[in-house]
Amino acid sequence: MTEPGSRSNGDKTAADPPAELSLADAVHEVEQAEHDLRPPAAGPVTNAVVAAVVILLGAAALLGSWSLGVGSARTPDAGMWPFLVSVVLVVLAVVLLVTAKRTSDAERFSRGSWLVLAGLVTMVVFVAVVEHIGFEIPAALLCFVWLRFLGHEGWRTSIIGSAGVVAAFYVIFVAALSVPIPHLF
Amino acid sequence: MTGNNGVTRWAAASLALGLALSTTACGGNLGSGANSGAQDFPGGQPVTIYVGQDPGGSTDLIARALAKGVSDDLGVAVTVENKPGANGALAAKELAGKKPDGHTLMVYNGSLAYITPLAVPPGEAIDIAGYEIITGISQDDYVLVTAPSSGMATVEDLKKAGRPITYGTTGVGTGSQLSQALLFAQTGVTATPVPFDGGSPTLTAVLGGQVDVGSIQLGEAIEQIKAGKLKPIVTFAEKRPSYLPDTPTAVEQGYTIPVQQSRAIFAPKGTPQSVQDRLRASFQKAFGAADYKKFNEDNQLTPNEVDGTKLREQWTASLDGYRKVVDQFKITLGKK
Amino acid sequence: MDLSPVIDGFGVVLEPANLLYCLIGVVIGMVIGVLPGLGPAATIAILLPVTIGLEPVTSIIMLAGIFYGAQYGGTITSVLLRLPGEASSVVTVFDGYALARQGKAGTALGIAAIGSFFGGTVSIVALSLLAPLVAGVALDFGPPEYTALALLGILLVSTVSSGHRLKAVIAACLGLLLATVGRDGFTGAERFTFDNLSLADGLDFVPIAMGLFGLGEILHNLEERHRATPAPVAVANVWPAKADLKQSSGAIGRGSALGFVLGILPGGGATLASLAAYALEKRRAKEPERFGRGAVEGVAAPETANNAAATSSFIPLLTLGIPANATMAVIFGALLIHGVSPGPQLVTQEPELFWGVVNSMYIGNILLLIMSIPLVGLFVKILRVRATLLAPITVLITLIGVYTVNNDVFDIVLVIVFGAVGYLMKKFGFDPGPLVLAFVLGSLLEDSLRRSLLIFDGDPTGFLTRPISGVLLAIFVLVALLPPVRAALSRRRARQP
Repeated sequence: MTEPGSRSNGDKTAADPPAELSLADAVHEVEQAEHDLRPPAAGPVTNAVVAAVVILLGAAALLGSWSLGVGSARTPDAGMWPFLVSVVLVVLAVVLLVTAKRTSDAERFSRGSWLVLAGLVTMVVFVAVVEHIGFEIPAALLCFVWLRFLGHEGWRTSIIGSAGVVAAFYVIFVAALSVPIPHLF
Repeated sequence: MTGNNGVTRWAAASLALGLALSTTACGGNLGSGANSGAQDFPGGQPVTIYVGQDPGGSTDLIARALAKGVSDDLGVAVTVENKPGANGALAAKELAGKKPDGHTLMVYNGSLAYITPLAVPPGEAIDIAGYEIITGISQDDYVLVTAPSSGMATVEDLKKAGRPITYGTTGVGTGSQLSQALLFAQTGVTATPVPFDGGSPTLTAVLGGQVDVGSIQLGEAIEQIKAGKLKPIVTFAEKRPSYLPDTPTAVEQGYTIPVQQSRAIFAPKGTPQSVQDRLRASFQKAFGAADYKKFNEDNQLTPNEVDGTKLREQWTASLDGYRKVVDQFKITLGKK
Repeated sequence: MDLSPVIDGFGVVLEPANLLYCLIGVVIGMVIGVLPGLGPAATIAILLPVTIGLEPVTSIIMLAGIFYGAQYGGTITSVLLRLPGEASSVVTVFDGYALARQGKAGTALGIAAIGSFFGGTVSIVALSLLAPLVAGVALDFGPPEYTALALLGILLVSTVSSGHRLKAVIAACLGLLLATVGRDGFTGAERFTFDNLSLADGLDFVPIAMGLFGLGEILHNLEERHRATPAPVAVANVWPAKADLKQSSGAIGRGSALGFVLGILPGGGATLASLAAYALEKRRAKEPERFGRGAVEGVAAPETANNAAATSSFIPLLTLGIPANATMAVIFGALLIHGVSPGPQLVTQEPELFWGVVNSMYIGNILLLIMSIPLVGLFVKILRVRATLLAPITVLITLIGVYTVNNDVFDIVLVIVFGAVGYLMKKFGFDPGPLVLAFVLGSLLEDSLRRSLLIFDGDPTGFLTRPISGVLLAIFVLVALLPPVRAALSRRRARQP
C-alpha cells in the first residue's frame, strides 16, 4: 500500500534529483490516495464487457436517430445531431474495446458491491410504495437498513436514529415547509 | 459514548417537536386533491399559470402582470411557471393532462392555435377544442427589423440584396416565421429561416448581424428601435400601429399578410362552468387595474379581453385565413 | 468603466437574506470540506431543490459559497488528520501534516486561511475587471461561435480532467445523447421518448445531477473499507509568526496568479491549480528537500491557488456560459432552473445577478477568514459525526428533495436510475462530470450547430471563415489531436534506442 503524503513523495525525489513533481505524477498520486481503500482493479474481461455495452448503447442510438431522419447539411433534420454523436460514441467505444487489455481503472465487484445493491433496493422500495402509504414507513425502513446493515451501527442507535430522522423530516418537510410529499400522518 | 447520547437527545427533541407540530399540521394527504370541488374554488389552494416561453419574454411578462391582480381577487397564491419548449406546445400538453379544477391555467399563444397547425404534420398539432378558454387577453403586432449595419431599410433593399437572405424567427410555427415566409414568398426573395427560442435570442441575433432580418413582436423590439440600434422595415399589422407611425405596413406595400400574436387564458377541458366564471371574473378585475392598463401601453399591447366563445371564433377564423394564403403561395413552414 | 453596477451589486449582497444565505453557503461548504466523502458538486446537486424557492441571485450566492467554502474546509482535515476532505487539498497533506506533527498545526491552518483569502480576493478583483470586457464582444457571439465554444468546453473538460481520457469523452457523448431526449424545437419531432409523457419535455437536469453526483457518490462510498479516524492533532496558536508569513508571501502571490489562470481554463479548476502551485514552489525552492517535511510554502501555495481557481472558474461560466468543471456545470443548471441563461449577455442583462454573485464572494471570503481561524476546533468536532449516520440522511434528502422540484414521483425514479448509473460509471472508471457538463451544454450545442448550418446555407466551411469560431475550432483540433500524437511520438521514441 502506497501512502499518500510525504513519504512516498520523498522517496521519489530522492531517486530523482531534479526534485520535480510533474503534474502527471501529482495527479497519479492523488488518485493513488483515493484508491487505497477501494476494491482491486478489474480484469480485461470486465473492461471488454463495459466497452461492448457502450458499443451496444451507441448502436441503439444510431438506429434510433437514423429512423428520425438525418436530413442534409442544408436542411438538418431531427435525427442529424444524435446521429453524429452516436457515430462518435461507437467509434470511441470500439477504440476502448481494442485497448481493453491496457485499461486498469475499472474496479472489480467485491463483497461490498452487495451493500450497494442492498442500498439501491431500499430506494426502489421507497419509490414503489411512497405514493400509496406515504414517505414515513419506507423512509424509516431505508434509514434502519442503512444504519444497521450497511453502516454496522448498533441496534439501539439504528432504531432510535431512523425514528429520529423520519420525525425530523416530518417536522421540516410536512409541518414547516408544507411540501406536498405523500405522507401518512 | 458522547456521540450516541447526542443522537438520542436530538432524536427525542425532534420527536417531541414533531408531535407538538403534528397536531397543527393536517393529517395524511394520500389520495387527496379530489376533494377540492367546484363549490369552494379556489378553496385556499394556489393557482399555477403555465407559460410556454422563457422568463422575460412578452408572454411571461403578461402572465406576471396578471398574476398579481388575480391573486388579490382570489385570495390565494398565483404562481407563474415557465415551461418553455416547442412554442408552448409542451406546456399546452402538460396543461391538458392536469386536473380540470381551475388550479392550473396557461397563457396560450394564438400562434400555437392558428399558425403551428400549418407547420406540423396533421395530428401533431394541438387542437384548441381540447381546452376551455377562460378569457382573451391582448394582441401584439410583429415588426420586421434589421441592424443599421446591414444597410437595408426597405423591402426593395431586400429584393436587391442579390444573395439569399437569412431571417431569424422566434421559432418554428410562430407568427414571426409565418409573417416573413409570406413576405418573402410574395416578393420573390430567396430566404432561409433560422429558428431561435423566442423573441429575446432572435433580437440578439439581429442586433449582432448573425441573421439579416427578423420579425419580432413590437413590444420586445420597441426599445432597441427607439435607441436606433434596430431599423424597422415594415410592420405586419393591418394599420400602422400608433407606436410606429412612420413605418409602413406590409399591407400598404401591397402584400396580403396581416399577422398578429394574440393571447388567452386556457384551462384543461372539463373545468366546471362555475370555476370558469369565477376565474373570468377575477381576470376582468385584473384587466381593470390601472397598473395593468399602463403595462399594456408600455408594451404596445392592444387589449382583446373578449370571452371564451368569441376568442374561439377569432382564432378559428385566423387559422382558416392563413391556411388559404399558405396554400396559395405553396409555403412550407415546417415538416409536413 | 462604469462602477455603478458594481456598487449596486454590493447593495444586493448586503440585503439580509443574501448575507444569510452567503453565510449558510460557506458554512455548509466548510462542513462538507471537512467531511471526506461528498464533494462540492454532489452537495450542490443535492441542495438544488432547496434553491428553487429562492431568488436566483440568492441561490447562486449560496451555491457559490458552498464551492469556495469547501476549499477552506478541506484544508483542516488535511493538516490535522492527513485526510484530505477535498481532492483540491490533497497536496496540502504533504507539508501541512508534517507541520502539525512539529506542533505547528496552527501556523499551517493560519497560513492556509490567509493564503485562501488572498487568492480568492485576487481572483474576484480580476473577475470584476475581465467580465465586462467579454460582455463587450457579446454581440459578436452568434450561433457559430457558440457551437465552437461549447464543443471546445466539452472537449477540454473531458481531456484535462484526471482519469481516463477516452472514457471521459465517451461520458460526454452519452451526456449529449441524453440531452436530445424530448421534443425537437426545430421540427417538433419526438426523440427517444418511447411515448412516455414524462419524457416529452426532455430529461430534467436536477435528477440527473443529483443521481450521478449525489446518490452515485454515496453508493460508491458504501464499498469503501472503513478507515479508522485518527485522533486529531491539538491546535495551539493559529496566528502564524511573522517569519512564516514572510517566507510564504511569494508562494501566496504566485499561487494566486497560477490559480487564477488555471481556474479560467476549462477543465482546470481547484484540484489542478493546487497541484501545479505546489509543483511550482518546489521547483523554485532553494532547498527543495524541505518540501514534504513541513515547508510553510508547501501549504500556502496550494491553498492559495485552489481558492483563486475556485473563484476564477466562475469567469467562463458567467461571461461565456461555458462551465469550466463539474461543479460549475451544476451551478449552470441552477441558473437555467431560474430562467437565467448564462452567456455573454449576462453582465448587461442581469447586472444585479452578476455583480451580486461576484461581490458576494468578497463577503464570503471575509466570513470564511473570520470563521475558519477561531472555529477550527468546532470543525474538528464535526469529524466525529460518523459517515454511516450521514449517508441515510443524505439519501432521504435526495429522494424527497428531488420530488419537491416538480412534485412528480417519476423524478424519484429518475434519480435512483441515475444514482445506479453514477455508481457503475465510477466503478468502471468513467467520470460522471463530463456527462453532466455535456448534458447541460447539449441543447445549446445542437441548436447552435443547426442554426449555423442554416445561416451558412449548409456549408460547414462557414465556421472557419469567421474569426472567433475559426480560432476556437483550431484550438479544438489541437487539443483533440495533441494527446494521441504525443503518445504515438513517445512510443516511437521508446522503440528507438
